Amino acid sequence: MFYCRVVGESQERLTTHTIDFPYTRTLGPVFSEFLTGMRDGKLVGIKGRDGKVICPPTEWDPETGDALGNDFVEVGPGGVVTTWAWVTEPTPKHPLDKPFAFALIQLDGADTGLMHAVDAGSIDKMSTGMRVTARWKDDRIGHITDVTFVPEAG
Amino acid sequence: MAESQAADLNAPVVGMDYHMHVQYHEVLCPVMREFADALMDKRLIGHKCPQCGLIYSPPKGYCPICVVPTDKSHELELQQRGTVTNYTIVTPVQYHGQEETDRFAKASLQLDGGGTLSLQDLLEIPVDDVRIGLRVEAVWASDAERNVDEVTNRSWGIGESAIRGWQPTGEPDVPADELPTNVF
Amino acid sequence: MAKKTEDIAIVGYAQSPSYRQAELTEPQFLYPVISEALERAGVPRREIGFTCAGSCDYLSGQTFAFVMNLDAVGAWPPISESHVEMDGAWALYEAWVRLQHGDIDTALVFGSGKSSPGKPAEVFPLQMDPYTLTPLGADPVSLAALQARAMLDAGKITEDEMAEIAARSRKSAVNNPYAQVKGDDDPAVLLKEPYVTAPLRKHDLPPISDGASAVVLATTEKAKELTDHPVWIRGIDHRIDIHQPGMRDLTESPSTRLAGKNAGVKGKFDFAELSASFSHQEKLLCDELGLGKDVEINLSGGPLAANPVMAVGLTRFVEAARLIAEGGKKRGVAHATSGQALQQNLVAVLEAE
Repeated sequence: MFYCRVVGESQERLTTHTIDFPYTRTLGPVFSEFLTGMRDGKLVGIKGRDGKVICPPTEWDPETGDALGNDFVEVGPGGVVTTWAWVTEPTPKHPLDKPFAFALIQLDGADTGLMHAVDAGSIDKMSTGMRVTARWKDDRIGHITDVTFVPEAG
Repeated sequence: MAESQAADLNAPVVGMDYHMHVQYHEVLCPVMREFADALMDKRLIGHKCPQCGLIYSPPKGYCPICVVPTDKSHELELQQRGTVTNYTIVTPVQYHGQEETDRFAKASLQLDGGGTLSLQDLLEIPVDDVRIGLRVEAVWASDAERNVDEVTNRSWGIGESAIRGWQPTGEPDVPADELPTNVF
Repeated sequence: MAKKTEDIAIVGYAQSPSYRQAELTEPQFLYPVISEALERAGVPRREIGFTCAGSCDYLSGQTFAFVMNLDAVGAWPPISESHVEMDGAWALYEAWVRLQHGDIDTALVFGSGKSSPGKPAEVFPLQMDPYTLTPLGADPVSLAALQARAMLDAGKITEDEMAEIAARSRKSAVNNPYAQVKGDDDPAVLLKEPYVTAPLRKHDLPPISDGASAVVLATTEKAKELTDHPVWIRGIDHRIDIHQPGMRDLTESPSTRLAGKNAGVKGKFDFAELSASFSHQEKLLCDELGLGKDVEINLSGGPLAANPVMAVGLTRFVEAARLIAEGGKKRGVAHATSGQALQQNLVAVLEAE
């Protein structure tokens, strides 16, 4: 029968294996509007059946499942942090390469939270209920990382 | 940036690129470690199932057909000479990560004395001359160059860094009807 | 009126130890687990009517890695089998549904995963919304931390309670030979540790684990023939909440509540095995399932002590079955989760004869 040792620090032979897939995704009408907005420096939500504004926008009503029209609404650029987490050691996949906060941000004019990064500098600058605002990259391509958020001045 | 939007900076964004890149670091399992060590000694080993007699190289540590474990006591050294039982010719499509440009063959081998290998490279023979029944022998990388860096738990083949490939021996072909039908 | 479902029983179960870094391949450590579950059930391998597995190719880092796992089953000549790219608990659900058809009487279920080769914080964002969340590297710890903060802010838990849950789990795990993180820790000392991702400290997080578990199911009649101690699945259901973390109240889990109601979670329970991968989630799950202080939670140590992803939910069934068949317990809850921050939840009620 098999005998499995737990391998310690001085493991005998570590092999490396990489998977590497370049995906190109089509966006459909709703994400196209959202990411075109990103490129143009605008945050875009969509109106749900009950009139609530959803951001990031969905193609369907989260409550009823009905298809939504093209009732897009510009939201932000400011918003309120409804919850947050302080990332001490960012991974190479994170949008910032220094400690930052992931937060759910309810953008002005929206009724749902957008998960995004807040570049606050230190954990002391973060609190639930604080206001943040969009900080746009100069070179935008229509991607969720065209924007990050920073604490609102004042 | 997706190619479709590169042309017009004001056109709606309709595509999104995401480059998925993940690296895995895995400890080589004991049976593969033994296999790799043997390759460094220019030996090719396998495990013979005590129940059905099938030989697995690289060894798995079990026979998946009979579902019985195999270990060092089932190890045997395989001959380094054999016959092509099947092959495929690949015309490389230049997708991301494809480094080959010329057509190449990958062959399944039935080794003399037992044991099979799949996805082996053939050397010293034009792709169009590859055929079932071809007699081949192992071409080892030189002592200076030989390594087993490409041997992983996921290995299908052996890794060109140990056995560079298989070259024709010049012996007459084996008639197809003398070859086992259960190898691929 | 819907037709009543047949009670299915767990008649065999097994698990591997939880390894921080296993040197064996997934099929290699699955092999003895499946063999042990079948032996315990007393069902010859070739007589199993249906086999269903749960695993994740992205975790293994290999396309069709799940096919390799069939090596551990004995799948030639071809058997009737299926696979879910989910925790083995969902494979159990599929097998449970399959057994309702009535034409077969046994099923083998297993779940397995090796989290150690990849970096979970880089692999798991790949299961998120590919437009808005994967490109942010939205990882399980950050998402769980958002949930924990929301619960702390809402007054639904305290950091002291989180440390107490972690300490209790580690202490319970001392008696679990399969567990990975175990010991006698003082919650007050744990609270002095720095945050990993605030408000979560290391003790609030599950370990990185490799491992597997397996269960053999049987129909009512077959179970009675096979064993004097069948563990009955009296009810089972799974439900899902919306994916975007900002579109639901993270301090609640409507899917757990509904699955629990449909599975028949009411009345007295001796214990519950919950897939609370983060300390605060245990409190949330207990609240949603209405489990009071009299119910013993995660006597095995739970996912905070052993977290073989893709098997950890099915292991809750293994632990629950063990407590009933061998530990003298009468009635318990098994829970599994999938997705981030308890997005999808499966709940079952298990009972002794």
